[in-house]
Parts: sequence; C-alpha cells; structure tokens
Amino acid sequence: MAQLRHDYEEFTKRDTRVIVVGPESPAVFAAYWQKNDLPFVGLPDPGASVLKRYGQEVNLFKLGRMPAQVIVDKNGIVRFVHYGHSMSDIPENNELFTLLDQINS
Amino acid sequence: MPRVDLNTTAPDFALQDFNGNLVNLSDFKGNANVLLVFNRGFT
Repeated sequence: MAQLRHDYEEFTKRDTRVIVVGPESPAVFAAYWQKNDLPFVGLPDPGASVLKRYGQEVNLFKLGRMPAQVIVDKNGIVRFVHYGHSMSDIPENNELFTLLDQINS
Repeated sequence: MPRVDLNTTAPDFALQDFNGNLVNLSDFKGNANVLLVFNRGFT
C-alpha cells in the first residue's frame, strides 16, 4: 500500500485510477485512509462479493487473503491479472507502468 | 473459485466507498484505466 501511495502520481499520469477493494468494514477503511493519507478509492466489500467474483484466493493455511491485481482498460477489458501466491507476491509498479504505457499507446 | 481472464470484459460491480458514494466499475469506461487492488489486509 505504501508503494502504491508513493507511485500514485505515476498512475494518474497514465490515466489510471487506483481502486483498493478489501473485506474490511467502512470504518476500518476510513481509519486506515485517514492515518495513511491515501489518495485512492477504497471500497469495503464486507460481503466479499467482488472479491469472490474476481477470484481473490484465500489461503487457509496461511490464514489470509492473497493479494491480487487487475488492470481494466478504458474499454472495460481486462489487460492484466496477477493472483499472488503469497502475501508478498505483488508485481512491481514499474511492470504495471510499462503495461499501461502500452495500453495507452 | 471464479477468476477473470485476460482480454475479456471485466465483470462490472457496484460498491459504496467508505464515504458512502456508489462506485461502479463501468463509471470509468471511456475515461480511465483502472488498477484494481485486492488487498491482503491492512496490517
């Protein structure tokens, strides 16, 4: 999340909105956003309906949800999907910027 | 568990943000790319 915050401008430059979805309650989201001064959209999904639809993996052994990232282009088409297999399995933002530059060109 | 596939239409969704504003994925169509981040928790 800190990395996303750090690179937020780079996403904005590439006409890209960042939306964070999580199962936590609106109150938990609000507190976290306020504490960390986050500029992006935060969507609480306590029923996990979107999380399930997009197939975020829950690893019961590791007791948590695995990170996942999806890039949707301006036509509503999925252009990048990454399902993490561990808590730290997150693509580098530079990789995402390269892809976004291709999408925008 | 369903997953989304590359180069297919992203499933639309509507959720309220933590301020209560309704956000549809389709709101961004024609206007911005979207990076959806499925969070692993705020810890």
